[in-house]
Amino acid sequence: MKLEGGKIAGSELVFLMIGFTLGSSLILSPAQAAKHDDWLAILAGLGEGLVFALIYTTLAVRFPGKTLIQFNDIIYGPYLGKIISLGYLWYFLQLGSLVLRNFGDFFTTIIYPETPMIVFIVLVALICASAVRNGIEVIARCSILLVVFTFVVIFGTAILLAKDMKFTNLLPVFDIPLREFIKASHSAATFPFGETVAFLMVIPFLKKVKEAKTSSIIALIMAAMLLVVVAVRDTAVLGITKTISTYPAYQAVRLIDVGKILTRLEILIAINLLSMGFLKIAVLYYGAVLGTAQLLKLRSYLPLVLPMGAFMVSLSTLQFGSNIENINFAQEIYPYYALPFQVGLPLISLLIAILRGVPKKMKGAKK
Amino acid sequence: MVKRGSLFLRILAISLIILLTAGCWNRRELDTLAIVSGTGIDKPEEPGKVQITVQIIKPGEMKAPQAGGGGEGGSGGQKPYWTVTATGDTVFDTIREMAHKSNRKLFFPHNEIIILGEDAAEEGVQKYLDFFARDHEPRWLAWVLVGKNTASEVLETKAELEKVPAISISKLIEARGATSEASAVTLHEFLTRLMSKTTAPVASLIEVSGQGKEKTALLTGTAVFKKDKLAGYLNKTETRGLLWVLNEIKSGIIDVECPGGKGKVSLEIIRARSKIIPEIKDNTLHLAVEIDEEGNLGSQMCSDDLTSESAWKTLEKNQAAVIHNEVMAALKKARELNTDIFGFGEAVHKKYPKLWKDIEDKWDEFFPNLEVAVIVDAKLRRSGLITKTVKPE
Repeated sequence: MKLEGGKIAGSELVFLMIGFTLGSSLILSPAQAAKHDDWLAILAGLGEGLVFALIYTTLAVRFPGKTLIQFNDIIYGPYLGKIISLGYLWYFLQLGSLVLRNFGDFFTTIIYPETPMIVFIVLVALICASAVRNGIEVIARCSILLVVFTFVVIFGTAILLAKDMKFTNLLPVFDIPLREFIKASHSAATFPFGETVAFLMVIPFLKKVKEAKTSSIIALIMAAMLLVVVAVRDTAVLGITKTISTYPAYQAVRLIDVGKILTRLEILIAINLLSMGFLKIAVLYYGAVLGTAQLLKLRSYLPLVLPMGAFMVSLSTLQFGSNIENINFAQEIYPYYALPFQVGLPLISLLIAILRGVPKKMKGAKK
Repeated sequence: MVKRGSLFLRILAISLIILLTAGCWNRRELDTLAIVSGTGIDKPEEPGKVQITVQIIKPGEMKAPQAGGGGEGGSGGQKPYWTVTATGDTVFDTIREMAHKSNRKLFFPHNEIIILGEDAAEEGVQKYLDFFARDHEPRWLAWVLVGKNTASEVLETKAELEKVPAISISKLIEARGATSEASAVTLHEFLTRLMSKTTAPVASLIEVSGQGKEKTALLTGTAVFKKDKLAGYLNKTETRGLLWVLNEIKSGIIDVECPGGKGKVSLEIIRARSKIIPEIKDNTLHLAVEIDEEGNLGSQMCSDDLTSESAWKTLEKNQAAVIHNEVMAALKKARELNTDIFGFGEAVHKKYPKLWKDIEDKWDEFFPNLEVAVIVDAKLRRSGLITKTVKPE
């Protein structure tokens, strides 16, 4: 009995992970609290995120072919393991609903103020549901095309904005107090780098599980570089007004004006969010659905897709009353709330696995 | 053979696509929009109120008059724009108030200028500009101007070369490069300066000249703000002095005396570059402004032979002196108003972040007494199609 028959290649994992990490952080610049030093904070956050990624991949390599939900049972035993697994399923679903909410807020703020937010959320959720039904292989292949397109948009807009950039906006380097810098870089580590904990549901389907470590590290570094390019582009263009912008990337790209012809290109940012956010939601959604099926020992995860999607959609509309509530949650609570899921539990799992010596190393062929 | 279930799904999907992608939720057709080309903000007599004037384009009247078509009647056709004024408590409220006058909803993405009336600007502009920064329709690339008369008067001037006054004013600003004597400030730049702790916002200054129906608008310099309140004006010379320092000079004419002293020589600015360099010498803060300029000999109104090496060198020297004086004039005015329009504070902040923490809050006391050295390196490159002037040998 196999819930997922697909297999993905290491390179596909790289693209999928880049897309996942860019996700909504393309529009909600991570570490915005660090003002014009946010690119430094992102790099510092990457450092922290790489440590997280090492923990995840070590776990994944130790339990080849087993997802987070499956090896939780092995590490903690069937009862405690299931409780922890439930926590993770909640985390994936909630994170997915947060990204859905970002979609809704973004589109209702910038283009369609009168359209009910639920319309966008449902439409995006339906696309993701279709992707999840098709399995991880399809999602991973989508990612190649979408991430390459995002690459082109990021660098293209940076070139079109070149004449409006003032790199002196980045000076003086390291202008904020250390305490705030650490707070900002930690928030960049938890959003988006640490969220790759969801890939513990994906890595088991790698063709060669050994590639997990290098692929993840390459993906995180490349995603961080792209985020740094975006952060530097936005700061150089917007200067101090970046600190009050709800969506800095959108605001910066709005200022593109090349000879009155190449202008009003801001919709590109919406397309970026649409494609990268899709990958992020799809992975989280997939993780939640597959995990639930494994938890309940179902024969197929397909019947779970729509109900869990509906849950995610309702959660996304219910959990915040306004985008300001969302921002406050993201800045003040999320960096701590996410910690147990992103580092705490994986680290404990790894330690217990090492101490208990699970899984038992079998010599020779399986018997 | 397609199974019945999947056939149904396909039909459902196709009909959903047809129904959902055919239009937007709140689509707005061109003939339901009132396209705003310019906005003016004034302070009316009544305290605590805002008066807003918008110039709406009438697309139907925009088309060029047909050749030989005199059938339109003797009225000369209608104006292709409509200027509407309304008064309310807040900016947004006033704009919506216009729905009582305009049957179409105002549409701001093509708003090219924001004119602040003098009274409104003196009172403080943060409260007026918030809407233009926050709402998703107006663009941050709109020009910000201060009208020495009321903003509504400026919008009611006559445009000769363009059909709509607001667009004419916007093009006027874009054409500033010919003289470099008017500042051009987008809403984004204005907001950036407004958010800076020390740098004072500036805006283009626009005035109305002429009488009756022949009123025209012209740019006359720069309006200077202290925090968000209008503090004073720079004239054309001082404005160019400001632009030299800000590295925003495009072109322009520098008039210098003939070396012989019997008339003027016009030198055309071809390119210019400048840098602000803060420095700490002997425990005191100095600023140097380095300006590199290149010019061409444009015309001479005296009969001297300017091709001799000494005359050429004198011209270069005079050219540098004029630039120097322009910058000093701007500096003098800025000191009088105690407004850091040059961004000296930010330059110090970027170079000496530690020192800056101590003087940041005292910058207002620092700025008027700051020592500024203006170093001009002006070159004269070419003499044009003739060398000596036209006169008998």
